[in-house]
Amino acid sequence: MPVNPYKSPITPTWCPGCGDFVILRSLQTALADSGFEPAQTAICYGIGCSGNMADFNVSYGFHGLHGRSLANAIGVKLANHHLHVVAVVGDGDGYGEGLNHLIALSRGNHDVTVIVHNNSRYSLTTGQSSPTTTKGIRTKSTPQGVVEQAFNPMASFLAAEATFVARAYTGQPAQLTQMIQAGFRHKGFALIDVIQLCPTFNEQQNHAWFAERIYDLAESGHDASDKLAAMQLAQDKEQVPLGIFYQDSSSRPYHDQLPQLEKKTLIGQRSNLIDLSPALSEFD
Amino acid sequence: MINSKLQNFNWKIAGKAGEGVMVVAKLMAKISKRHGMNVFNYLEYPSLIKGGHQTGQVYASFETARCQKRQLDLLVTLGKAGFAEHSSELTADSLIIYNQDAGLLDSITKAKLKSQIIELPFISLAKQATGSIQSANMGVLGVSAYFLGLDPKIAQQVIKDEFKGKAETVIADNLKTFEAAFSAGQKLGQPIRQTEKKPDDQILLTGNEAIGLGALAAGVQFYSAYPMTPATALLHFLAAMQKHYPLVVKHAEDEIGAINHALGASFAGVRAMTGTSGGGFALMVESLALASSAEIPLVILEAQRKGPATGLPTWTEQADLSFVLTAGHGDTHQVVLTPGTVEEHFELTKVAFYLAEKYLLPVIILSDKSILESHQTMKKIEAMHKYQSQSLAQTLPADNSYRRYKITKDGISPRSLPGQPHGFQLTNSYEHDEFGFATETADQTQAQVEKRARKLEALVHEMPQPYLLGPKKAKITLVGWGSTINILTQLIEDQGATKSSAVNAICLPAVWPFPEKVFSRLASFAGKLVMVEGNQSGQAEKLIRQETGLVMADHIRRYDGRPFYAEDLHQWLKEKSK
Repeated sequence: MPVNPYKSPITPTWCPGCGDFVILRSLQTALADSGFEPAQTAICYGIGCSGNMADFNVSYGFHGLHGRSLANAIGVKLANHHLHVVAVVGDGDGYGEGLNHLIALSRGNHDVTVIVHNNSRYSLTTGQSSPTTTKGIRTKSTPQGVVEQAFNPMASFLAAEATFVARAYTGQPAQLTQMIQAGFRHKGFALIDVIQLCPTFNEQQNHAWFAERIYDLAESGHDASDKLAAMQLAQDKEQVPLGIFYQDSSSRPYHDQLPQLEKKTLIGQRSNLIDLSPALSEFD
Repeated sequence: MINSKLQNFNWKIAGKAGEGVMVVAKLMAKISKRHGMNVFNYLEYPSLIKGGHQTGQVYASFETARCQKRQLDLLVTLGKAGFAEHSSELTADSLIIYNQDAGLLDSITKAKLKSQIIELPFISLAKQATGSIQSANMGVLGVSAYFLGLDPKIAQQVIKDEFKGKAETVIADNLKTFEAAFSAGQKLGQPIRQTEKKPDDQILLTGNEAIGLGALAAGVQFYSAYPMTPATALLHFLAAMQKHYPLVVKHAEDEIGAINHALGASFAGVRAMTGTSGGGFALMVESLALASSAEIPLVILEAQRKGPATGLPTWTEQADLSFVLTAGHGDTHQVVLTPGTVEEHFELTKVAFYLAEKYLLPVIILSDKSILESHQTMKKIEAMHKYQSQSLAQTLPADNSYRRYKITKDGISPRSLPGQPHGFQLTNSYEHDEFGFATETADQTQAQVEKRARKLEALVHEMPQPYLLGPKKAKITLVGWGSTINILTQLIEDQGATKSSAVNAICLPAVWPFPEKVFSRLASFAGKLVMVEGNQSGQAEKLIRQETGLVMADHIRRYDGRPFYAEDLHQWLKEKSK
């Protein structure tokens, strides 16, 4: 079996049993199986256990700031839309600190595949509650129990006009890889919420807990082109449906709607000789 | 009544927002420029859409016109508010033109005025000439052109140029109202000037527009911003340029998004810029540290307005200097340029892109409302511009041994761009090793910190240098930076080479890294050093003391939202010499 070209020489630093190992392997498999050259791939990483994946992939990487790597991804794609642009973030990154940027990606339908490592905890900072922590759960930052309702990414991004909304689970690695690949194939913004285990700081939501709640959307007969049905599924807080909630097959990405990017990428039009005449006419 | 010896005039229009004040002021400035004059057009307006009191004022001269002047030759006021607001700017020689449609003037108001007053109903005039009141503001232009002895043909051409692309009837109506008002003027009195015509070899533009042109000339391909006065006009200008250039302008979700879109684009290899005012810049600061640490080229316009917090959104100040110099947590490195004239805004924006790309760091252009939103004339800009891409990795070994953060003597580590085979790299906000992988080792951390610091030492020789205005030796040496350079220029030029030329000035078009050598040399010839700056706490004064040990003998500061006036500095100097 050939070595995956995305594999870096650095050994991951995550806790044993962390779902991040699964996401890393699925992402590397999805990238290689999609035929993406590492040199043509740009991955923007946020800050957290998820973002630490930056060191474990070989490609072009941009390890930015907490929440802000999502905004970096927009700029990377607009500057060179031939690149495959991926954003790897956590639930704190994407649904907390960087939520406005994630909504901007969604509303703009920027052609970026966003993988959200969702373990319902801020684990790198030792386990505080995150936007997706269930109401009432006690953590170090919420010793009296979380007062807020958990953020609902599926419903929120359907409302934010996302053209691809999917959920995967680190307990189902084959489907996770499939979802990432489907996200790559999708022309436009693809949100993949990955439910992951955190054996260190979220012992309650373990494999057994999820095994009772997960089911496969495709098997259940869900029509992924039906946005209202997807919205209804997203309201179900008892079960954890996996797969594609919604995909708009006629989606047109942001860069494809800019006339100046019609023929070439922005960087492909770089010229070291500039004629200011059209800009100067109004100042005479 | 015509004073043909006078080679300048100071004109002002006052009215409500929505009455077309700013358009008229810009056209007045343009008409003056086309007579071959130097021009400065200064706008004051409150932060609202309709109503309020706003003004445009054009100082035009065949000599120097670098800033607004206070004493008016001609005031056109569209409402009664203009009398009280501007009485201190009027003299017995001033002429006031009042819009009669704003209500009859009572005898008491009239009696109080020292100046001659002429009344003209601008709205009725437009209605009579065109059947509509839409072009009423062109009447202001017509009567002003008459009383200032401006060539109506030049004015008509300026109107045609301004409304080019609009419906024929719009252009025709604007011209009709202009002509009707010009003729009305002839029946009301004698002109107060007979303005000459000389060859016009200049352009007229704002600081924002000069930055926009400089950015285009430097090959900018990506601009992202969130609207904020007084940087918004740059967003508008560049957005309109997308149809002519390979340029993407992104109205971002917020300022943090704006800077991070630009950083993403820059990482991908295009020349990128963002712009905002102090409040928006405050939001960008964490990402500024990212640009510095991850070594990503970026140009940022920090367009100062009166702070703190929301402050006076449409007024001016120079009080973000200390903040900008030290913005960014940790040992961050940025370059701070402080252009004064519009020409410097154009030239230094090109320099900003060059420095940012060569030294792989953020470069801040620190300017303020008083020049960014004012029109000033400058010599024509040539059409063709060339630039060289900087600090790109020339070879990428096939064994993938390329190092994005290679330790080098001058600190510059040439970069690869996404898409290039064998250029794999991790642009990293974490402290990193030479490849870009995160590291926490003491020796690699220290090596990278020192490498980044060396870049600032290496670029000092490429910084725009301080320069002297006026005689080499003087009793008093004024020191200024940014927009204040315009005021100092006006003061020194107005003073001329007379025997009383006891003043000269040192101008700082860049402040960080501080150009210590040249400044200290200029200061060694100086008289009593007097710092002139638009803030309360003496921010540049402290900086100069910190970097050179030089202590100012005195200072002139302004922090009421208004710009300096050369007349005020002159008055200050007069009192000091008593």
